[in-house]
Amino acid sequence: MRRILIEADKCKGCKNCSVACMKAHVPEGTVFSLSDPQFESRNTILLDSEEKCRPLFCRHCDKPACVNSCMSGALVKNPDGHVLYDRDKCAQCFMCVMNCPFGVLKPDRATGTYVVKCDFCALHGGEPSCVKNCPTEAIYVKEVE
Amino acid sequence: MKHVIIGSGAAGITAAKVLREQCENAEIVILSADEAVYSRCMLHHFVSGERQVEELSFISDGFFAEHRIRFCPNVQVTGIDTASQCVLFDGGSETYDRLLIATGSESFFPPIDGLSGTKQVYGLRDLSDARAIREQAKRAEHIVVIGAGLVGLDAAYGLVKMGKAPTVVDFAETILSANLDAHAAATYQAKFEEAGCRFYLDRKVTEVVRDGAGNVSAVTLDSGDTLPCDLLIVAVGVRPMIGFLQDSGIACGRGVMVNDHLATNVPGIYAAGDAAGLSESWPSAILQGEVAAMNMSGTKTTQQDTFSAKNTVHFFGIPALSAGRLVAGPGDVEDCREDRNRYQKVITHDGVPVGVILQGDISRSGFWQYLIKNKIDVTNIPKSIWNVSFADSYGLDENGEYQWDV
Amino acid sequence: MMTKRFSCSTCQSADKPLGQFIADLPIETSFHRVEAQEVKCEFGLEGVCCRLCANGPCRITPDSPRGICGADADTMVTRNFLRAVSAGSGCYIHIVENTAWNLKNTALAKGTLKGRNALERLCDMFEVTGADVYEKAVNVAEAVLADLYKPAFERMELTKKLAYAPRYRRWEELGILPGGAKSEVFSGTVKSSTNLNSDPVDMLLHCLRLGISTGLYGLTLTNLLNDVMLGEPEIRLAPVGFRVIDPDYINIMITGHQHSMITALQDRLIEADVIQKAKAVGAKGFKLVGCTCVGQDLQLRGAHYTEIFDGHGGNNFTSEAILATGAIDAVLTDFNCTLPGIEPICDGLQIKQICLDSVAKKANAELIDFSFDVRTAATERILDDIIAAYVARRGEVPLNLLPEHGNDNTLTGLSEGSLKAFLGDTWQPLIDLIAGGQIKGLAAVVGCSNLVSGGHDVLTVELTKELIAKDILVLSAGCSSGGLENCGLMSPDAAELAGPKLKAICQQLGIPPVLNFGPCLAIGRLEIVATEIAAALGVDLPQLPLVLSAPQWLEEQALADGAFGLALGLPLHLGLPPFVTGSPIAVQVLCEDMKTLTGGHVLINGDAIESAILLEDIILQKRKALGLS
Repeated sequence: MRRILIEADKCKGCKNCSVACMKAHVPEGTVFSLSDPQFESRNTILLDSEEKCRPLFCRHCDKPACVNSCMSGALVKNPDGHVLYDRDKCAQCFMCVMNCPFGVLKPDRATGTYVVKCDFCALHGGEPSCVKNCPTEAIYVKEVE
Repeated sequence: MKHVIIGSGAAGITAAKVLREQCENAEIVILSADEAVYSRCMLHHFVSGERQVEELSFISDGFFAEHRIRFCPNVQVTGIDTASQCVLFDGGSETYDRLLIATGSESFFPPIDGLSGTKQVYGLRDLSDARAIREQAKRAEHIVVIGAGLVGLDAAYGLVKMGKAPTVVDFAETILSANLDAHAAATYQAKFEEAGCRFYLDRKVTEVVRDGAGNVSAVTLDSGDTLPCDLLIVAVGVRPMIGFLQDSGIACGRGVMVNDHLATNVPGIYAAGDAAGLSESWPSAILQGEVAAMNMSGTKTTQQDTFSAKNTVHFFGIPALSAGRLVAGPGDVEDCREDRNRYQKVITHDGVPVGVILQGDISRSGFWQYLIKNKIDVTNIPKSIWNVSFADSYGLDENGEYQWDV
Repeated sequence: MMTKRFSCSTCQSADKPLGQFIADLPIETSFHRVEAQEVKCEFGLEGVCCRLCANGPCRITPDSPRGICGADADTMVTRNFLRAVSAGSGCYIHIVENTAWNLKNTALAKGTLKGRNALERLCDMFEVTGADVYEKAVNVAEAVLADLYKPAFERMELTKKLAYAPRYRRWEELGILPGGAKSEVFSGTVKSSTNLNSDPVDMLLHCLRLGISTGLYGLTLTNLLNDVMLGEPEIRLAPVGFRVIDPDYINIMITGHQHSMITALQDRLIEADVIQKAKAVGAKGFKLVGCTCVGQDLQLRGAHYTEIFDGHGGNNFTSEAILATGAIDAVLTDFNCTLPGIEPICDGLQIKQICLDSVAKKANAELIDFSFDVRTAATERILDDIIAAYVARRGEVPLNLLPEHGNDNTLTGLSEGSLKAFLGDTWQPLIDLIAGGQIKGLAAVVGCSNLVSGGHDVLTVELTKELIAKDILVLSAGCSSGGLENCGLMSPDAAELAGPKLKAICQQLGIPPVLNFGPCLAIGRLEIVATEIAAALGVDLPQLPLVLSAPQWLEEQALADGAFGLALGLPLHLGLPPFVTGSPIAVQVLCEDMKTLTGGHVLINGDAIESAILLEDIILQKRKALGLS
């Protein structure tokens, strides 16, 4: 499968990836604004205790705990390996949020009715916008087994 | 090789899927008492009218065809003949080479005077329960729910969304006592009360009163109060659905007895999910279905993750999660903080998180159950406990997956 | 049930009661926003993001060592840095320009000039005179204004009169004597524009030039001109903190740096008919509650304003909390540091916001023309507005006071004049104490508070405690004073925290080990103190056992102050680096080469204990070089 690999030490915390993610998920007919809470990034950057940047991106895990905890069938591991989320199927139990061992998932900020989840930019040819916008190549796509 | 699975819940469906992945040519049959595949955790959305039957399914439309699984709905299994390796049901039988018992559980009806045999009394476990509750609720004026746990409140929430205002009775002093502490529970209780619900807590139902037609008409509490009632929902727990195993020779305790490989005492027969009575949660059932299927297909696999003391709650737009201990015990350290949107509590013991409750904001908090499950010492992280995250144990393997460096 | 607290994550505060007060608030403050801004962009931090043209933003990485135009990290960083220092200088030059105009106009109108001695000293220094005090004052003001308005190619004339002679010579050698102060800001802006200057060293030298004009004019002269108009500082004990807020009065919180601007209003507030107006709506009268540097300025001259001014509430990041007490009816702003964060608070608590200078126009504030000739009429309008706000909001808005906050015995009113007078009109006692080793040296702990150096005032307070424990006398000016006084370090009791020798002196003199010179403008007063001591010893400034620290510098103005410190040849400690670390040349020049240029240098350390050791080492080296044990 194709995965976004991370070289955390190259991350400069510029948040280009987060802005790119937001912009890649603007619903049709909506005007993007960095001030509008409806726009959220699927990725984020955490700091460790030494204040080093630690990018947090959905790994589309080989054994996804989120999929295992989904009781509505909204989260599915696709044949190509990506874990996709169907907002219409989701019953908003947020068991996936609790069970992601890395704390990647979250309910959406504006309405609290769906899960903010990386879709590998399925609507953009499966080429992740975050990767395209990283100025230091701290993230890049690679085929992995 | 022919695999037969009894039950089409989380464990049964997962087992079937994994079996197909493992055995290209095996025959796979699912015998289900249900009319269709649905998620029991979503039945309250059917009660409320927010979802139709087909919207309760947790599998894709072409799932059975795609995985070449023979799905037999509406099959009430009556017994198992282990000698001839045959599952018996009304109107037929099915032979097996390997059998998985994944029948789940059924509502428990406690021994309350007048409860047994009274009409308009339901659990909320099966689609048939949900249908009956929805129909009856349309006419009911005095709905009583016994049990303020997740199922009872799911039922109440579904009814609130129908425009009803049920009364909830529980012997515990707070609602959701298995999932939250009193402080977090009070937030939800206030929301339910704002929506018109009434709560009788620290109260037992002593009697169910019926009218001449045999329909429920009231419930009496140990306080002496009598609540008028024309629809009674009983949600005080579940019991493994194993009645049909009597005399089968398959050893049962509270549930079907299994070893670490989820095998029963009878060779070739396995059990997973609620039927095995190990833990009652969706993720556990999925994991057990997977382990059972691996063993059925010949790959010896042991159950790894048995941590199930975790859950989420989501009512009135307020999400919450809890894992591990809800209240500090001897030697525990409890940290709490709260504001207008959040309540957070972390319990540690010798620097190891042993319990967490987050309410209002659960964003990116999945690492908590991992810390608790794996007893990861956070003492040496030079940060406030509130700022601990996966970043402090950040690791990546050669395939780019995260791993905990602890 | 969840509490009404706005958020459970607020940053740390050296002032613990303040930190708890803010943590419990139902409104959002700067303290609440720190966590969400925790991840910083490294390009911004290091100064290697350039947005000067349409090709940008360009950023420097190992794979992209130059912007599209060809600018490398050194050019980008120093260009960005020069822009920031120019803006910071502009702020202070704006202040001194307005102050000089206020002096001139006051004198022309034959208004009150409280500091006759201060005027005489300026006349002596400037070598100007006049028929009477008014003419003298006009001439002094005009001398300042004439310099400020000179072109960049024409040196300002007062620089030589203001500067310490050895310094002046060094600046002349380096070619960094400033032309007209406003023009130097202008040049700095031009130099750092698109595809103009690309020479990092030239741009850093321009920063020093701006440092000189900022320091001598923006800082020193603003103080001295204000002393003429508003009276000279007198040493006294005063209350500080939230305890100064008396809800029985109509309270006006003042923020800014231009004290001479608000005096017209200030004087009117204690006139009988105005007090009567306040009484008519149920208040005892009016009070000004000090906040930021204009509050420090008022506190400094508090001896002259006991009736209207009850005390200083707090510094920059305390302002939101002061408003949250509910007892403030209006905010009167003449300049920075007026946080945008006060706007929603003022809206929510129905606090009237008034700005007197368009450069500090806040989004929700009413900008009132307060130029000299219309001040009298404008004052009446402002009074009516504030009374209206008081009537509308009192009773509606709940009070959330913190009357136990702060203390009643902060030593204030220190200046180069008042301190010298206190010592018996000579610096000799202080020089003797330093020479004798009872005072190991002097540390000027100045600047702002920021919220990222461990939290609000945390590094400032911790570093100061470490320094005094090492028998180093600390002098403070700026928002740092606000933090230090509210934490009790400027009360005589704080002698207990000093090392044994310093403690003994403090107890003998009844003074604290941390001396409060007031607003950031008073960094100029500290320079005078240092210069006069150096002159008495016959040495240049870099030789003194004196260090400068802006542990929690915040703004562009602080960078201009820092450039002044470097031009003076002082070791300059900062808790966080300015946004220059992406440039090897900038780092080399600021931290090392500066030693041979001016004698000063920058040192960066965010740890209080380590920083104190570094600064003590410098002081000990300088003592040794002077032959002191």
